[in-house]
Amino acid sequence: MKVTALTKKYRIGQEIVTALDRVDLTVKQGEFLCILGTSGSGKSTLLHLMAGLERPTKGDISINGKTLSGMKEKDMALFRRKHMGFVFQSYNLIPTMTALENVSLPLIFDGSDTRERVGKARELLIQLGLKDRFRHKPQEMSGGQQQRVSIARALVNNPRILFADEPTGNLDSKTTKEIMEILREKVSQSGLTLVMVTHDNELAEYADRCIYMVDGMITQIVEKGARHEEA
Amino acid sequence: MNKLDLLQLAQKSLWRRKARTILTVTGVMIGTTAIVVMLSLGIGLNESQRRSMESWGSLNVIRVQPGTNYDNEGNPLGEAKRLNDETVEEIKAIDGVWAVTPAYDAGGEARFGRKRGGLQLIGVDPAAMENLEFTPLLGRLLEPGDRNVIVVGSEVINQFQDEADIKKMQRGMMISPGMREDKDPADIMDQRLTMELYSGTNREQKKVFAFQVVGVLEGEQKEHSYQAYAPIEDVKKMRRFLNQASGGSTSSMSREIAMKMGGGAVSVRRVGGSKSSSRIEADDYSYILVHTKDVSDTKIVSQALKDQGFNSWSMADQLEGIEKTSRTIQAILGGIGAITLLVAAIGITNTMIMAIYERTREIGIMKVIGATFRDIHSMFLAEAGLIGFFGGIIGLGLSYTVSYVINQISKDFMNRGMPPGTEEAIGISLIPGWLALFAVLFAIMIGILAGLYPANRAVRLSPINAIRND
Ligand SMILES: Nc1ncnc2c1ncn2[C@@H]1O[C@H](COP(=O)(O)OP(=O)(O)OP(=O)(O)O)[C@@H](O)[C@H]1O
Ligand SMILES: [Mg+2]
Repeated sequence: MKVTALTKKYRIGQEIVTALDRVDLTVKQGEFLCILGTSGSGKSTLLHLMAGLERPTKGDISINGKTLSGMKEKDMALFRRKHMGFVFQSYNLIPTMTALENVSLPLIFDGSDTRERVGKARELLIQLGLKDRFRHKPQEMSGGQQQRVSIARALVNNPRILFADEPTGNLDSKTTKEIMEILREKVSQSGLTLVMVTHDNELAEYADRCIYMVDGMITQIVEKGARHEEA
Repeated sequence: MNKLDLLQLAQKSLWRRKARTILTVTGVMIGTTAIVVMLSLGIGLNESQRRSMESWGSLNVIRVQPGTNYDNEGNPLGEAKRLNDETVEEIKAIDGVWAVTPAYDAGGEARFGRKRGGLQLIGVDPAAMENLEFTPLLGRLLEPGDRNVIVVGSEVINQFQDEADIKKMQRGMMISPGMREDKDPADIMDQRLTMELYSGTNREQKKVFAFQVVGVLEGEQKEHSYQAYAPIEDVKKMRRFLNQASGGSTSSMSREIAMKMGGGAVSVRRVGGSKSSSRIEADDYSYILVHTKDVSDTKIVSQALKDQGFNSWSMADQLEGIEKTSRTIQAILGGIGAITLLVAAIGITNTMIMAIYERTREIGIMKVIGATFRDIHSMFLAEAGLIGFFGGIIGLGLSYTVSYVINQISKDFMNRGMPPGTEEAIGISLIPGWLALFAVLFAIMIGILAGLYPANRAVRLSPINAIRND
């Protein structure tokens, strides 16, 4: 994934806020990229633009040679459905659905049949240690469990890229560690690309590469060659 | 996203806000009930009028009389058509005509056993009798090759009285029975019925024609209940005999008969008046019955016949005016129902807009994980459509109940003052199958239409704003 001169400006009344200022970035296939920065530095904005959830003011993003800005809304949705997964700080599960239903929701949109999607959802939930929580609604589960359900949901479509926006922001240190290990393992195992936003410097150790942002610009890129050889 | 999942999701989201869904569905239910009941009253009205007309004759029959057709001002349209085999062929060629039955009529006094009474006799080709769509109550219909046999209507027996009673009555010894009693049609079955006809200016020639009664027709209080059907050749013979002396015109007899037959009277009277312009041959038919498959054909054929200058008459023509009035009534009643349903539709829109506010975040999540605009749109339309569907179905159920109650009350009301055992009054509220289907489809459509605006709003929601943490 290649990000070139990406700029995003928001207008609030008369004022114009520049959330991203000519960001250039390349994300390699199969790497774990961590985006660090203070609050309001534009981390989430960058993530949203990369995922095609928002349109840039200027600049472009291309994934495997495909430019997102040229894509129609519908194709973008289909692209997300096929190739992307999302994990958020506040889990964003659908409160009225059970764990199993939440996990299989992306496959429902994709029109796959019930048996197939339930099978996949079960498999993932079991993998993530939620064997006894299939029929539980989000509010009947702990934060860590909910986040694991949301990771299962993000992985159910076998995505190529996983976007995570402060996935451990609401969790205690023990659960944070569990979640991070799950994510790290997934990346190492399956060639999944992970773009994770956080403001917790400690989590950087799990990543292959970290970028630091200030005021919508990338100020520093730290490689951890030891972990990431080639992709 | 496949349809079943869509409906399942929609049904789930509806079910989770039960109270609101139930209230909205109730709105649609009341609207649907209002429309269906209102329309059912209009249809019931239509149907009862139609039935009362049908009891006087089939709606699939057109009667072509001799003579000219007149326009509204009473001016003749074209030349009078003769009714003969050529005309029969001409009529057969018209589109929509299913069968053509030419007929002669004759009549006079008839006797069987010790009884005497007037008989209106119609001559038809025995082979064509089935076209008349009669069913025998007793015995059989006329069959090809029949001669000197007769099939009578169920009321014919009541026209006959004992010779002795008639004499007494004539002498004033017995007042004519006010209410005529119903006699058993079986009494006339297999009887030998004779008719004495007189011909010549001074009735100097007399001839007796005899018929064996082989069947009694089903149906009471219909036109044919008072008629008797004989093979056309026999009736032709009677007419020839009658015409020998009077010189060709059959007018006196057929006029007399036609007068008894309601509808026919007008046209025949005209024939009498315009005798000079069109002479009627002895062998010309008295009238020709044109049969069609259904009412709509009848109307078309009837018009075609009129265009070709035939003097035609059908019950279906009369129906037109009545249908027009009841269409107006239906439109008014339906309009009242429509307003109710409109209010219900606004209820649906309102509910769905509220749902958007509640589910902003949920919609955002769905978009993020790959729901297209179309998926979101369909989900909202499905929910609104389901509200319409449930409201429609329950409303339909309620309509049947209301309709039943209305009919029960109105039957009690109408059957009071009617002798028991007479024809059961049909309900004034009728819900035919098409109305039931229409009502449910219409309710669904209203739901979907009402859901369009909320659905479009849901589609436009920004996923980012929806999932923002703060
Ligand atoms: N929809 C929006 N409308 C207006 N301004 C916005 C919008 N989204 C983001 N911004 C602005 O863009 C800047 C970057 O926001 P962003 O959410 O990317 O920060 P962040 O780095 O994710 O912060 P945090 O760590 O608090 O999540 C902020 O100044 C914010 O006010
Ligand atoms: Mg953020």
